[in-house]
Amino acid sequence: MTKNTKSTTQEYHVASLVASPILAQIDEVKAAINDVAGMEIHATSDEGKIVFTVEGCSYKDIDQKIEIIRIHKGVLNLSPVYHQVLDESTDIDTTI
Amino acid sequence: MTINRREFIKANAIVAAAAVAGVSVPAVASNLITSSDITKLKWDKAPCRFCGTGCSINVGVMDGKIVATHGDIKSPVNKGLSCVKGYFLSKIMYGKDRLTTPLLRMTNGKYDKEGEFTPISWDQAFNVMAEKAKDALKKDGPTAVGMFGSGQWTVQEGYAALKLMKAGFRTNNIDPNARHCMASAVGGFIRTFGIDEPMGCYDDLEAADAFVLWGSNMAEMHPILWTRLTDRRLSAPHVKVAVLSTFEHRSFDLADNGMIFTPQTDLAILNYIAHYIIETGRVNKDFINKHTNFRLGETDIGYGLRPEHPLEQKAKNNGKTKGSSTPIDFDEYAKFVSTYTAEYTSKLSGVPEHKLKELAELYADPKIKVTSFWTMGFNQHTRGVWANNLVYNIHLLTGKISTPGNSPFSLTGQPSACGTAREVGTFSHRLPADLVVANPKHRAIAEKIWDLPEGTIPAKPGYHAVLQNRMLKDGKLNFYWVQCNNNMQAAANINEEAYPGYRNPKNFIVVSDPYPTVTAQAADLILPTAMWVEKEGVYGNAERRTQSWYQMVEAPSGAKSDMWQLVEFSKRFKVEDVWPEELIAKKPDVRGKTLFEILYKDAAVGKFSLDEIPEDRLNDESRDFGFYIQKGLFEEYASFGRGHAHDLAPYDRYHKERGLRWPVVNGKETKWRFKEGSDPYVKPGSGWDFYGKPDGRAIIFALPYEPAAESPDEEYDLWLSTGRVLEHWHSGSMTQRVPELYKAMPDALVYMHPEDAKKRNMRRGDLVKLISRRGEVQTRVETRGRNKPPKGLVYMPWFDASRLVNKVTLDATDPLSKETDYKKCAIKIVKV
Amino acid sequence: MKKLQLTSIAGLIVLVFMSVLTPLIATAADKAEINTVATLRDHTEITSQKEPDRIPQVINKDIKQARSYPMQPPVIPHTTRSYEVNKNNNKCMSCHSRHRTEQSQAPMVSVTHFMNRDGNFLAEISPRRYFCNQCHVTQVDAEPLVENTFTDMHSLMKKKASTSEKH
Repeated sequence: MTKNTKSTTQEYHVASLVASPILAQIDEVKAAINDVAGMEIHATSDEGKIVFTVEGCSYKDIDQKIEIIRIHKGVLNLSPVYHQVLDESTDIDTTI
Repeated sequence: MTINRREFIKANAIVAAAAVAGVSVPAVASNLITSSDITKLKWDKAPCRFCGTGCSINVGVMDGKIVATHGDIKSPVNKGLSCVKGYFLSKIMYGKDRLTTPLLRMTNGKYDKEGEFTPISWDQAFNVMAEKAKDALKKDGPTAVGMFGSGQWTVQEGYAALKLMKAGFRTNNIDPNARHCMASAVGGFIRTFGIDEPMGCYDDLEAADAFVLWGSNMAEMHPILWTRLTDRRLSAPHVKVAVLSTFEHRSFDLADNGMIFTPQTDLAILNYIAHYIIETGRVNKDFINKHTNFRLGETDIGYGLRPEHPLEQKAKNNGKTKGSSTPIDFDEYAKFVSTYTAEYTSKLSGVPEHKLKELAELYADPKIKVTSFWTMGFNQHTRGVWANNLVYNIHLLTGKISTPGNSPFSLTGQPSACGTAREVGTFSHRLPADLVVANPKHRAIAEKIWDLPEGTIPAKPGYHAVLQNRMLKDGKLNFYWVQCNNNMQAAANINEEAYPGYRNPKNFIVVSDPYPTVTAQAADLILPTAMWVEKEGVYGNAERRTQSWYQMVEAPSGAKSDMWQLVEFSKRFKVEDVWPEELIAKKPDVRGKTLFEILYKDAAVGKFSLDEIPEDRLNDESRDFGFYIQKGLFEEYASFGRGHAHDLAPYDRYHKERGLRWPVVNGKETKWRFKEGSDPYVKPGSGWDFYGKPDGRAIIFALPYEPAAESPDEEYDLWLSTGRVLEHWHSGSMTQRVPELYKAMPDALVYMHPEDAKKRNMRRGDLVKLISRRGEVQTRVETRGRNKPPKGLVYMPWFDASRLVNKVTLDATDPLSKETDYKKCAIKIVKV
Repeated sequence: MKKLQLTSIAGLIVLVFMSVLTPLIATAADKAEINTVATLRDHTEITSQKEPDRIPQVINKDIKQARSYPMQPPVIPHTTRSYEVNKNNNKCMSCHSRHRTEQSQAPMVSVTHFMNRDGNFLAEISPRRYFCNQCHVTQVDAEPLVENTFTDMHSLMKKKASTSEKH
């Protein structure tokens, strides 16, 4: 009773960023980040710097999501720190 | 896999950004947790849940969950190793479909054989069970109730079941699935030696100069013993390995002499070896004169089918005399086996003469210490007891027995086939410690230990496994409880002899299992069951090693152990419900009591208090019943064998040891039985003493080759052999739920010779139907897998619940052992 | 393809008769669904059989899979078809033995594999570890039939660590 799961070509992107918000608007910035699909806040420093990640399926996807935060009125500065792509396409042999 | 890699790179991303922001790394992304109170695991030992090897496993528990398992370095059996199944034991309890509530077939709130499975409480479940059991008892007496148990029951569970059935309900209709597995081995031991279980032990593996595998694919079925055999073969170059089978399998990878024989002709090969030993003058005369007798066995004994089957009509001696024999002398025996010349045997078996001779020489050469291993190839055989007898013959003729490396060694398939099925005696004809119900003295011993009146235990053996299915179909067995096995997948000839009995409207079928198995689907009531380290227990492995374990985690809420189910159920019966007045009158103080009180609480079983359980240990059953029930059951059971060559150590000691091999006398285990110096039961000065027989002599049997029950013909032109695979254990109800094991071997394919496939216009991967006279099963063709059958034979494993190969197999059994031959029947294969 | 067509025909037939037979079909189907409890048979009566799917393919990506716990033997992330492992030859060791890993860049067999039964280190792999397939298995590209709820100790520890962080 096997269910075959033929894999398809697919990419996984993850980037991490540090956002410096206007301190008075930090909660709004955080809420904005949480609203974007694939974004997740992991820590906030004592100075209010927000450490967050964004996950997506392509460069374009990631860029579009980041753009939403970059143009947020409460964000003074946004530094991208890390970006990695995982190629999840498969290469299958025909034997058991 | 992808998820884990994603998590990994995501964590890297977080760490990098956190460093830039100058914050400490959040827990989710920290790559190493070092705080010792967080990382601490609680480790404990337990025997493996799977095969009869009996590896000890270290089980790691964290927060009430099993999180790791690996081979126990302190165990003499496996010394830190474990096979792939053993490594994944940590996952067998966590299939998402664990059962947590009893399910009864109901319509409009009432039991209905044709109703829908409906969740009910344990109380309701026991109510309907008790009602059905009492109805059956009242209507047709004790023979209308029965139980099918397991070599995977703990010793305590088997003993509790045996006592409930044989003394409580006064029926001998209890049998274990071990009937399918090693009943022929038992028959062989009892017939040749008068006492069950191997004389040797696994230490033979490091001592032998030659190994012969008879119908045993150890590389897949006993992987850890195979690692020891491989270790010996590769580290001592003089060591030789001979492998015999009806198809080529993984064990042939190590074979110096690999032999493929025509099914059933192993009987001839065994006799040829005896003939060769005699012909070349290598009989150990001194040994046979002092320690053996010769007998000629009855022949033409039938095939254990229903009496009306043409084969049974034709058989001359399938009645009561089938196991009888008459004394002969050595010369008559020599003449008997002289038929089996190299030429004749080679022609019959298809094995070249030089290979036969090379094999025979391993046994004949007095300088070679030889160990024979066998499993289902011998046991699942319509002449299985004979095959066992015949291999003992060649060890006895040469005196190669009971000394390190000289060992005829029957391996078992289940973790406690020896401990529970055989030693406890959960068979339709047995009682603990090799006692049998047919012997009045034996019944008296049991009745005395149980403090029950004379005549409690019925004298007539009950229905064995195969007969149980037939009697269910015939409506003679009406209340039936199945625990710890999956017989709707395991029994042969499902269509004709298994399924009809379960669905017979006259019968009420209860199935206890952790998971919804095929058998559960055929039941009327399903009971959710706790498994393995969710309870405390004892298993006994193939080298007589008794091993215990503690409960380590809680079972899922609602699931209860087999033992709890049995003992709790016994509370539903007053003795007046089950015993006749004349029996009660013999022991009036039982009047008004429940079976729970008579068999467990007020018996020796109930005498150990809860204080004896270490405080930090879980023990759900004992704390529920109010006494240390696992210890009580064990100690009462052990009193059967102590002083009678089946001695077990005190219960508590097993919790401290990596098992002990019985008989344990004066605190010391026994490695080689029947040999002076290593077995304390041997008479001083005798050298060897086969004390299971009154005169201390083992029997060499003259028994012939007889054909299989069903052989290929023009229409059904292929032999079918069934069996197991390394990655799955038995019916796969545990291992198919472990993702790694499932993905290693997801489906049961039919392995066939490429030319057999080509001839039928088939290619690897084609969808085909295997058809026998009894049924059919669909699967796909494998022509290049691990098994390489010869032309004319195909192999299909039975672990796959979605492809029930036992719809095709034949329920022919050994008439002596009643064990089914799963290795031979005739089929045809057609493309779908 | 063939199967698909059959299904759609069956679907049409059901559609045609739906209006008349709905209540009857629904109860019968529900009952069959409820009573076919054997998960591994995918809701199939014991007396029948679903058509077996194609033989799945072995995953051959050479990407390491995380272990469920530290002592788990790693699964084989590549095909091993026609690998010879017998008393004369061990194909696995042509990449995974200590002196071949520089060329092959394959992981070296664990040091535990050099220990004999008594726990002493040998100069080469212990013969007791000779047959790799006893512990290491390939994986096919198939979805497990039943989900397994085994908990990775790491997730338990992370949970505890994050709880203790909050305090």
